Amino acid sequence: MNPNDLQIAEIWVYLSGSPLFALILTLTAYQVGSFFYQKTERNPLANPVAIAVILVAIALYLLDMPYQKYFEGAQFVHFLLGTATVSLAIPIYRGVAALKARVFPLLIALLCGGVVSIVSAVGVATFLGADSAIIGAFYPKSVTAPIAMGVAERLGVSPTLTAVFAVITGIIGAILGSHILNLLGMKQWWQRGFAIGVAAHGIGTSRAFAVHPEAGTYASLAMGLHGILGALLIPLLKNYI
Amino acid sequence: MIPGLVQILLWQGLGELISHFFLPIIPGPVIGLVFLLIFLIIKGHVNPSLTLVSDAFSQHLGVLFIPAAVGVILFLPQLKANAFAVIAALLVSVVATIVVTAVVLRFISKKDSS
Repeated sequence: MNPNDLQIAEIWVYLSGSPLFALILTLTAYQVGSFFYQKTERNPLANPVAIAVILVAIALYLLDMPYQKYFEGAQFVHFLLGTATVSLAIPIYRGVAALKARVFPLLIALLCGGVVSIVSAVGVATFLGADSAIIGAFYPKSVTAPIAMGVAERLGVSPTLTAVFAVITGIIGAILGSHILNLLGMKQWWQRGFAIGVAAHGIGTSRAFAVHPEAGTYASLAMGLHGILGALLIPLLKNYI
Repeated sequence: MIPGLVQILLWQGLGELISHFFLPIIPGPVIGLVFLLIFLIIKGHVNPSLTLVSDAFSQHLGVLFIPAAVGVILFLPQLKANAFAVIAALLVSVVATIVVTAVVLRFISKKDSS
């Protein structure tokens, strides 16, 4: 090894050991993901989180860096999940006027949708013989990811699988949502938005905002309320069914 | 922005304490969320600093779950072995949730207005 190589190796050892590297990697990957998302005019398939996860995974593979080491550095980002969860109170508060106008139908629909989202996913996965670790992550996956991961941790379910399933759920909902609602002949924007928000949390909500502001408001409200309901409902269903 | 962030962190801290001592089944941040929501409803308005923090979080919420989601590389063999069940469960669940929520909503609000 010549002295130059040695120096580069030393720099690499220093950088890869500090949280800076994991933070730069995470944020750069997200930046690239957001770039593609904007370029494709916010196509749900070009989801910035999905792109970022794939890019970071490839980078770790090429650099031969163990996941645990990456996570140690990136946990500063991870920590903010709890803080972001608390801040969801503000979008829910903005939707309170919308909720007050139709509190009864919205809450009943939310409860039905919330129960169906869990029972259908867990039911199909169990019927098809999936592993128990995977089935466990299907309980919280329809709730907005920061809350879903918090619930998963409490239930001893993998937050990783929960986050991945939650993102895929959001993408599927954002792609199929409008078609399903058209087939059902749903005409009211508030009903369409609310259904998307219950089923496809944040990713569905940003899709709803792109289609119509009223749909977006109700989707955002549905996502927040489903988060609170999920934190109560998921442990109940998981432990007693 | 700082006063808003401090306020959110304090609600989070209170939520974590209550979760730890009284309600271990519910994550602390969710309890903090409910407290903050009740506080805002009583107060009747949101101050700009809080709005700033909340908007920053909600615009880039996705970035926060990248570190955990990258862990999927450890589950790839398991996911491959269960690929069909996973895809089927996710598809069925999303479609069923949208259909049930939408149909229930339309049914009840029709009854309500008639």
